[in-house]
Amino acid sequence: MTLWEKLRPYGMVAPAILVFSVFFIYPIFYMIYLSMFDWNFISPTKNFVGLQNFVDLFKDPDFMQVLKNSLVYMLLTVSLTIGISLLFAVWLNRTGVFYGFVQGAIFSPHIISLVSISLLWSWLMDPEYGLLNWAIGLFGFEKLPWLSHPSTSLISLVIVAVWKGIGFNTLVFIAGLQSIPKDIYEAANLDQSRPWKTFARLTFPMLSPTVFFLVIINMISSFQVFETIAIMTQGGPVNSTNTLVYYIYDYGFRFFKIGYASAAGVVLLVIVGLLTLLYFKLLSNRIHYR
Amino acid sequence: MFKKMSLLTLAALMAVSLAACGKDSASTSSAAEGKDKITIKYWYAFGDKIEEAKLHLVDEFNKSQDRYKVIGEHQGNYDDLHAKVQAAFAAGNAPAVSDLEIASTGVFANSGMLEELTPFAERDKDQVKMDDFIKGLMGNAYVNDKLYGLPFMRSTPILYKNVSMLKEAGLNPAGPKNWQEFEQYARVLKEKGKTAISMPADIWFYEGFVAQSGGQMLSDDGKSAAFNSPEGVAPVEFWKKLSMDGLMKITVGNEAGANADKDWANQLSAFKFGSTAGVSAAIEIAKGNNFEMATAFMPANKSYGVPTGGCQLVMTSKLSDEEKEAAWAFIKFMTSKENTIYQHKHVGYLPTRVSAVESEELQQHFKEFPQYKVAVDQLEYARPRPMENAYPEVAKIVRSSIEKAILDPNVTPQEALNEAAEKANSLLKK
Repeated sequence: MTLWEKLRPYGMVAPAILVFSVFFIYPIFYMIYLSMFDWNFISPTKNFVGLQNFVDLFKDPDFMQVLKNSLVYMLLTVSLTIGISLLFAVWLNRTGVFYGFVQGAIFSPHIISLVSISLLWSWLMDPEYGLLNWAIGLFGFEKLPWLSHPSTSLISLVIVAVWKGIGFNTLVFIAGLQSIPKDIYEAANLDQSRPWKTFARLTFPMLSPTVFFLVIINMISSFQVFETIAIMTQGGPVNSTNTLVYYIYDYGFRFFKIGYASAAGVVLLVIVGLLTLLYFKLLSNRIHYR
Repeated sequence: MFKKMSLLTLAALMAVSLAACGKDSASTSSAAEGKDKITIKYWYAFGDKIEEAKLHLVDEFNKSQDRYKVIGEHQGNYDDLHAKVQAAFAAGNAPAVSDLEIASTGVFANSGMLEELTPFAERDKDQVKMDDFIKGLMGNAYVNDKLYGLPFMRSTPILYKNVSMLKEAGLNPAGPKNWQEFEQYARVLKEKGKTAISMPADIWFYEGFVAQSGGQMLSDDGKSAAFNSPEGVAPVEFWKKLSMDGLMKITVGNEAGANADKDWANQLSAFKFGSTAGVSAAIEIAKGNNFEMATAFMPANKSYGVPTGGCQLVMTSKLSDEEKEAAWAFIKFMTSKENTIYQHKHVGYLPTRVSAVESEELQQHFKEFPQYKVAVDQLEYARPRPMENAYPEVAKIVRSSIEKAILDPNVTPQEALNEAAEKANSLLKK
């Protein structure tokens, strides 16, 4: 091996590693460093406070509410998105103009900017004059307060996230379904397996790598929800929709407490890291890899 | 072949990124390009008419002289603007001049982001004429007796009325003058199937309602909360009653203000509270949707009362001497008598100078469009906003507690505000 051949791989990954270090690795360590200071981003002196920011954080009842909101939001969003997408995928996994159209239609929210989506849904969910309340009024139900009451605000945001997420998830599921070899289905047919059993014993296990992948990326992205909250609720009413990333933004950029915000950022980092680890450990054994 | 390609791409990428770095450093020291013009950036908030007026003034300034060039850049609403100025300052790339919402003057000045303007104002006192600025607007210009900003697009909240709707409901369009009348009007409107008002539980409006009840947000020394006094609780009780009886719709989210405005524009609600910045736009809307509109003082409780609002122009610190002169020349220009008259007529913000209010031009304008005059008259009852470092956070806590008191039947306004005051006190003491 010449020297060039030895060095070449490193040269090739260098740009990616460089970008990754500058924009991901360095900020992570800088954030951990900042989380131990009382600083407003601007003043020349940073006051070292040790772990005080973390102590304050876990003493703050609002932060506990924020953690709870994030968790509930994540569980609801992920389970609903995955569940509904899987149903759609099984239904749409066939050829025909109609199925193609439905696939396109449910995918379209994925390519619309979240800001537009947030504005659109704010109008749909207007408690007095919104289309949704008009529609459920037709069926004789009482008007819902949607975003304007703590009892319904978080679930309203989940609805928006699920609506936006279904298209992409369905597409990935369909790709997964189509990569399952047809001959196993033929064998199942010969054995006169019932459709439900075929799904439970054959399709779902074969699809498990896809499910695993989608669960992970949905969990991580729903923990990082920001745009819909910033535009539709700003964490309100009464903190009912305040989640981790929005909380961090509030403290970092509106209240000038970058150390405190970094501490919350570290908590987010730990949670997302733990979730990823946990799932790799728990699920990797049970997943069928070909 | 492939090897060569990737090397080429790599080289190209690096060249591009290097060029990008080079370009950036060149543009900040633009004076070096032999044009002799000093270029500075001015960051501003809001779009539509407000943006039109600001960009027009920037353009006028650039045409009025040939030493400085100002580039105006739009940065969203006040919160967005503040966050971006802060981040840009930390990165050493702050604009020379920026709009700054008045309640944030304290935080920005105390953290060393602002250049003190006292020496400039002292030096050019014949040109700036500090005494000519309306006194009621100067409360947020000073921090620890040092001048940090000049009043630019300043406002007070006012009451916008759909006169046609009031007449249809058989109500006297001259009212409502006080809270009791407001409630009566609201009940009559509800019987006719209309909402009286859509509004966000906005801290700015709340400050107004507290002032009307004779209270204040913080103690005089700014070290403790005062909003849990009876004067501070009264507004929340009033809102809660209106909201429970379906007379008032509370809007939420980033677009809460815009959604409330929309309800008023679409004649779904008869009243709205809003900044005087909206007068021109509201007149156009009323014309377009064919209804008659008027403006009035916010209704009184014990007395009239409103906070002032809007923005002043500030200069960031860490500028070179040349840039400071450019920034100061620009700030002086933007706040001159002629230009405050222009922005008032174009947008509706307050004229900031006594000489402007007394001018022939504006007196004529007030006669023609009395809607513009209300905010100027209301200044008599105006007060500055609190600007303690912790106030943005306190404001958030107060807003949240107001929402809780209104939405949760089991929580009384007093309880909610007491809880908020306790949190606020620990923040304010620091």
